[in-house]
Formats: sequence, C-alpha cells, structure tokens
Amino acid sequence: MTIDERALRELIAESNDLHVDAQRDTAAALDRLADLRHDRRDNEVNVEEIAGFNAQRRTVLAGSGVGAIGWLTRGVFATGFTTALAALVAAPASADEALDIQILQTAGSLETLAVATYAAALELDFIKNGNEVIVTFAQTTMKQHADHLAAFNAQVRKLGGKAQTQPNAKYAKIVEAAKPTLKAPGDVVMLASALETVATQTYVKNASLLEDSPTKELMASVTGVEAQHLATLRAVGALLGAGRAELIAIPTMPADLPAAAGGAAFPKPFEGTEMASPPEEGAVK
Amino acid sequence: MSADQTDTEPETEPRTRRRFLLGATVAGLAAISAACSDDGGDGEAATSTTSGGDTDQESDIKVRKGDVDGGRDPNNPTAKKASAALAEDLEMATFAAGLEALAVSAYRQTAAAATAGQLGEVPPAVAEFVTTVMGHHQAALDQWNRALAISGEPQVTTPDRTLQPTVDAALKDVGDVPGAARLALMLEDIASATYLAAIPKLKAPESIALAASIQPVDMQHAAILHFVLGEYPVPDVFAKTEQAVAPA
Repeated sequence: MTIDERALRELIAESNDLHVDAQRDTAAALDRLADLRHDRRDNEVNVEEIAGFNAQRRTVLAGSGVGAIGWLTRGVFATGFTTALAALVAAPASADEALDIQILQTAGSLETLAVATYAAALELDFIKNGNEVIVTFAQTTMKQHADHLAAFNAQVRKLGGKAQTQPNAKYAKIVEAAKPTLKAPGDVVMLASALETVATQTYVKNASLLEDSPTKELMASVTGVEAQHLATLRAVGALLGAGRAELIAIPTMPADLPAAAGGAAFPKPFEGTEMASPPEEGAVK
Repeated sequence: MSADQTDTEPETEPRTRRRFLLGATVAGLAAISAACSDDGGDGEAATSTTSGGDTDQESDIKVRKGDVDGGRDPNNPTAKKASAALAEDLEMATFAAGLEALAVSAYRQTAAAATAGQLGEVPPAVAEFVTTVMGHHQAALDQWNRALAISGEPQVTTPDRTLQPTVDAALKDVGDVPGAARLALMLEDIASATYLAAIPKLKAPESIALAASIQPVDMQHAAILHFVLGEYPVPDVFAKTEQAVAPA
C-alpha cells in the first residue's frame, strides 16, 4: 500500500482544525457547565443568569488554564465526553479551588514584595534617619504585610496548594528599577503607594472571584488594611508635597493641616480594580 | 448637638474664618450636588439625592455626588440588569442603604453644627474631610438604591431605624471637633465591619463587588480619623467584624 503524503497532510490538517474547533467549543460549554454546577449547589439554575454574572469568573478560569481547558486535557478526551460532562456537574469544584489557590498565591507574591520593599526602604539613610512617624509606619506596615503573607500561605496550604515565598515578578522588576531613583521620602511614598494600590485593588477584585468562603473572609479582612496603608501614604505624600513634613507626627496638629489633607487620602467613593493583578500573575509554577 | 439645632447660628459666638470656610465649602457643594444629582451617567435617573433623614426643608446642606462614574459602580459597569442572585441580597442591600443614609445624615448634621459654630474652630482639613466623606456615603447610598431600583424594590431615603437612635443620642453629646471625629470613627468602623461581615454572605457578584469596593474606602476614612485624633492610622493587622451590624 502506498501512502499519498499530500492527502495525508491535508487529512492531518483537517483533523487538527476539527480538534481546535472542538476544543474551543467544548471549552466554552464546559466552562458554562462548571458555573452551572457551582450554582446548582444552592439555587435553582437559571442559565441566562449564570451565563451573565459568572462571565468574569469563567474568563479568568479559561485564561488561567485551570478551568475548562484544564478539564479538557485531564479528563474529557481521556474518559469520553459524556462521562466528563456528568462528572463535571457532579464533582467537587476542583477548578474553583485551583483558582482560589492561584489568587492566594498571587496575593502572597504581592505581600512578599511589599515586605521586601519596605525593608529596602528602611535601609535608606533619608528614611531610617528621617521622620520618626515614617520610620514607624514603614516598620509596622512591613510587619503587617508579613502577617498577611503568613495568613495567605496558611490558607493556601489548607486548600492543598503550595505556599508563595517569591515576590511578584512583574512588580519586583518595577521596584528594582525604581530603587536607584529613590532620593527622598516622597519617592518612597510614591513607590509604596503604587504597591499598596495594586494590592488593594487586587484584593477588591478577588472578592468577586473567590469561591471558598474562609478565603474570601480572609481576603476581605486584608483589603481594608492595605487600603489604610494607601490612605496613610497619600496623606503623608500630600503633607510632603505641601512642604509640611512637620505635620507628619502622632499626634499631629489638626488645626494646621492643609485642607487637602482631609480628602487626599481617598479620591474616590469606591475602590477601583483597574490595577488588579490577575489571579495567575503570582501563582506558584 | 441635635438635628433641630443645626440651622441656628448662636448670636454670641463670632463666626471664625474656618467656620466660614466650611460654610462656603458646603454652600458651594449645594450647586455641585444640584448639577450632579439627577442622572446616573447612563440616562437612568439617580436613585437618591437627599436621603439621610434630613430633608431640604430641614437643612440647605447637600452633599456632592462624589462618584467618579456618574453613580455607577466602577467595578460593575455592566449592571444595567440585575442578576437573579441579587434577589437574595436585597435585604442586605436595603440595610446597607439605610446604613449609608445614616452616615450621610450624621455628616450632614455635623457639617451644619460646624457651620453654626457649635463645634468651635473647625480645621480646614476636617471641613474637607466631612464634605468629601459625606459625598462618598451619598454615592454608596445611591449605588445600593440603584440595585434596589433595578430589582423593583423600594429605595431607601431614611436612615436605618434601629441604628438612628444610637447615633442621634451620640450627636447630642458632640460639642467639639474631636467629639465629632469620634462619632465619625464609630460610624466608619460600624460601616466597614458590616460590609466585611456581609461580603462572604452576599450572593450576587454585583453586590459583592459593590460591598468590596466600599469597605476599604470606609476603612480609609477611619484611618484619617485616627490620625486626626492623634492615633496610629492603621491599628489592626486584619480588619475586624466585631462592630458589624445586621438587619433586624
């Protein structure tokens, strides 16, 4: 028997196209079913509703590789489509747990970087020999971030994941690039504000993404504290910018505070999520 | 300080420059509020402009909208249609709206008392804090009311009845700026703790996102109040729920 190589190549190409199409369509279907299964635990299923308000989570699941595609590669083609569908609707939410683990690991990466950044700041002469309140703030905030890291890592272990001990790679590069430019307290305040903004907004976003209730409680309890770090940094930045560093004191002199100090710490009524890190950004590989 | 005192300027005490500044700021906000209060940014009617128990007849003080997104939750930009799960959160949405209305009312009364000279000399930063934060709570109230409106539920225009007596009693004892700051701190602590406790219990993504976007801002308000009161601004490693309140 001779083989028509050209025909074979065409057949393989056609097969690959079909496979890709099937993967794409099935991934979407499985994704919807994953959400449907999740919601079915407590509520009557409304496909339109679930398709609508879980779109964000599905996107994240698919994009991070722990959602439908993960299910496809692990089970669908190995055990048969119908079996996989049935298992998907009935099985524990492994994809959800995987996403929760990624979220915690990414949070851990941000906390690790925050600890390292405040530690580096405390080594700078103009910080460690400067304003006492700024030193206290840097020391206390570093400790609080370390406590957050420990809490996130304890929780990720409870979910069966690995603890995150490495700093967030994306923002670590930014911090390293910024270090040579840190010449005055205001520079440090700006850098720390950026990190606190990322952490705060990431955790705000996570509230809607997390499935595990204790994890959600933990994340929310940290969010507000990071937001307070950010508010304090903004207030300190406003005072430095106004040339009133002497008012960065505890107790301060409220009567002398410029008007801007009363509103600069919270520019918006709702914390945004524009700078939120996606769940997979700091996941342990 | 009480609500019925808020519009009375004591004749024996001269108006200080700082009180004047506060009054001017508040008066200026009335125009901003009027300009911003009737549209949600998407053509839909805004849900509330004068909530909080004080009506326009009782006080000419209004709050600025403060919402950068025209009354929309920036973390939930697609919420023109309520999710079915929102139906399970309506009790909490109503309660949260009542809590926000209570905060707006308390800040409005505080601003009125300051304008009337009942708090003594008011630092400019404190005046700015009151007007800014009052606007934030008004924006939060509007947003909860929006969730109620699209769910066909009545909107909230008055403070939560179970909490109002406590705050009213506290307001009567406020006679200076530190006292007002203490009361504000209590309100912010209660609000942030309530949202923190609610977040894991809420069902709809839009209500979770809204609560999660308000809670950290309320904690930021608290941080600055701590600072003004001479305290460390970030006293806790983890936010607490001890002061959380729940629907009766």
